[in-house]
Amino acid sequence: MAMIEMNQVSKWYGAFQVLKDCTTGVDKGEVVVVCGPSGSGKSTLIKCVNALEPFQQGSITVDGVSVGDPRTDLPRLRARVGMVFQHFELFPHMSVVDNLTLAQVKVLDRSREEAVQRALRYLERVGLKEHAPRYPGQLSGGQQQRVAIARALAMDPIAMLFDEPTSALDPEMINEVLDVMVELATEGMTMMVVTHEMGFAREVANRVIFMDRGEIVEDAPKDDFFGKPRSERAAQFLSKILRH
Amino acid sequence: MFAGFDWDVIWRSLPYLFREGMTFTLTLTALAMTLGVVFGTALAMMRLSAFKVLAAVAGAYVNLMRSVPLVLVIFWFYFLVPWIGGWLIGARQPIQVGAFMSSVVTFTLFEAAYYCEIMRAGIQSIPRGQVWAGYALGLNYRQTMAAIVLPQAFRNMLPVLLTQTIILFQDTSLVYVLSITDFLGAASKVAQRDGRLVEMYLFVAVVYFIISYLLSHQVRRLQTRLAVPGPA
Ligand SMILES: Nc1ncnc2c1ncn2[C@@H]1O[C@H](COP(=O)(O)OP(=O)(O)OP(=O)(O)O)[C@@H](O)[C@H]1O
Ligand SMILES: [Mg+2]
Repeated sequence: MAMIEMNQVSKWYGAFQVLKDCTTGVDKGEVVVVCGPSGSGKSTLIKCVNALEPFQQGSITVDGVSVGDPRTDLPRLRARVGMVFQHFELFPHMSVVDNLTLAQVKVLDRSREEAVQRALRYLERVGLKEHAPRYPGQLSGGQQQRVAIARALAMDPIAMLFDEPTSALDPEMINEVLDVMVELATEGMTMMVVTHEMGFAREVANRVIFMDRGEIVEDAPKDDFFGKPRSERAAQFLSKILRH
Repeated sequence: MFAGFDWDVIWRSLPYLFREGMTFTLTLTALAMTLGVVFGTALAMMRLSAFKVLAAVAGAYVNLMRSVPLVLVIFWFYFLVPWIGGWLIGARQPIQVGAFMSSVVTFTLFEAAYYCEIMRAGIQSIPRGQVWAGYALGLNYRQTMAAIVLPQAFRNMLPVLLTQTIILFQDTSLVYVLSITDFLGAASKVAQRDGRLVEMYLFVAVVYFIISYLLSHQVRRLQTRLAVPGPA
């Protein structure tokens, strides 16, 4: 069953076309990795899924709800889709625990006690329970990104979107974040992950999407993608990033 | 050199100067600051709005206020506020508006234009990603602004907002053109009555200087204290 479905999605910034007829999907429990050169439209594509970016043509549905439909209650839809950003985007003026409870209370109408309880449970899960009263600026990058993941999980999302979650991290912190993501994937979370961490892709991805200049050039099961990429561009890209 | 001056006049009129005059000045400053920041923030959100009409209206208002001398605005509002107030409540006659109310309205509307530009810069200084993060969690525009953007913008801009308020504190002395008994007005009345212009105006200048200086000193200290908790 498709949790996220994209059909012929196109998007323009003025005259510049960022997305060209992108068609793909993510099934329930599936992990799909999106890769491609800088500027190819990966962030734009993933932001279209929860309508952080509008698109002009085509359709996207999440759990059957049409994202582009003006009648769709976007805040409600977004509350069900977790998102993790390259630069964490924790709220620096709030403590870690408040970062996790804010939307639970304001959007899901949970009581403060319940929200805190859940927040602590998810912080414990990413190994940061004792950091609850601290502020984001007092944490390392890797810790902040784990908090960001916990913040998204505390909303009980039906799917998670990741936009290069490790590319702003010092190398020694990448694994602590990837470990959390691998665990999530093995527990059956539906995930769409923009990343160049091919180790992560090999370990848990079901499919890999390769984008170039706004197009989905390749969309293949993991083993096919790493075994014998069909397109020249994907092969070139792979050889470049696998070298280091 | 100061022979022939009567410094005692200051001492004699102190209770009047402060109890009447300074109380008015400080109350006006505090009210105009509070209301001005609220209105200015609303203007800033309008200026940054995707609705072009809202943005244009707010932009025109700000530019108008910033292109007219404050004294004129004070005069105009003094005459206009009773009429506008009457029109707002549907009365045929201008309503009675005290000099105090009129000054509060004037300074609020005038200062809001400046607070607007400060808050606009503050809002723009917050990275796009913060708004995305709020939206991605399911918060709506209002909640994202109220819980995420404005608190950070306000915090970042607090020193500048307070500096603008120090200017406002000095500018309130212009109400003296309406013969209002603010601090300067009170001093001026004593000065005229006792023929002690030099002494009184010198004293007024010193008081304004000391208060403004102390305030800006506090602002600078606040600046360091306010930084969001960072690496220990
Ligand atoms: N607001 C915008 N206005 C105009 N052009 C934009 C805007 N945002 C992105 N673009 C352009 O759209 C293209 C796709 O951007 P996008 O951020 O989706 O790429 P990406 O694949 O995520 O790249 P990266 O790996 O650098 O993150 C780029 O060429 C970029 O310059
Ligand atoms: Mg990107």
